[in-house]
Amino acid sequence: MLFKKLNLDERAVSTTRYAAAIWLGVTQILLAGVVFYRLYVLGQPDEQLRDFQAVLAISLFGYLGLQLFLGGVMPALTWKGAVILWAILAGAIAIFSIGIHGWPAPSDWSSTWLPGLLGPALLVGAYALFAWLGQHRIERLIERDVD
Amino acid sequence: MKTLSTAQRVKLARVATGMTQAELADHVGVARQTIGLIEAGRYNPSLALCIKLALATGKTLDGLFWPEGEE
Repeated sequence: MLFKKLNLDERAVSTTRYAAAIWLGVTQILLAGVVFYRLYVLGQPDEQLRDFQAVLAISLFGYLGLQLFLGGVMPALTWKGAVILWAILAGAIAIFSIGIHGWPAPSDWSSTWLPGLLGPALLVGAYALFAWLGQHRIERLIERDVD
Repeated sequence: MKTLSTAQRVKLARVATGMTQAELADHVGVARQTIGLIEAGRYNPSLALCIKLALATGKTLDGLFWPEGEE
């Protein structure tokens, strides 16, 4: 026998999940560090980092999305809340971007105003959708078990 | 009279049955270390495990896990 017998119990499962969550966070931070280092220290062009950025985005949003969907742990947004959140995010992006790059030329709208306004809308929309789906899923589970 | 902690009551209940930590662990399907940690007050078992421990030691759930002096 290579190993002594060990019952894999609830403590082992919760410890494994805890360790996985912590190490996922560490991995994401390290990956973000690699992206920033290559972009701003080594000066590599953005196009050469698309794979890293895609993996990081999938990891971050996949993790948050799964948590929202499986747990139903985040508050679902109201329409008013969604609009306010979008306005705050889009406003912050606009203020910083205009502060750094100046007022964009009207002809550049597709690479300036569009992503600045659409990006936050997609983020807020995705959050609202997953939060609602997560809570809806839990409610359906409860109803099914009660019936 | 000194009140006993939950951890101490679990240990006393196990000792009263004559089981070792390893035997109780096998009986309820967990690792010996889990029983050790419960008896040391370092791990909060799930309700399912609490029920298994109560059944294995012949105690009620209240008798084993409810804080003494609480209604």
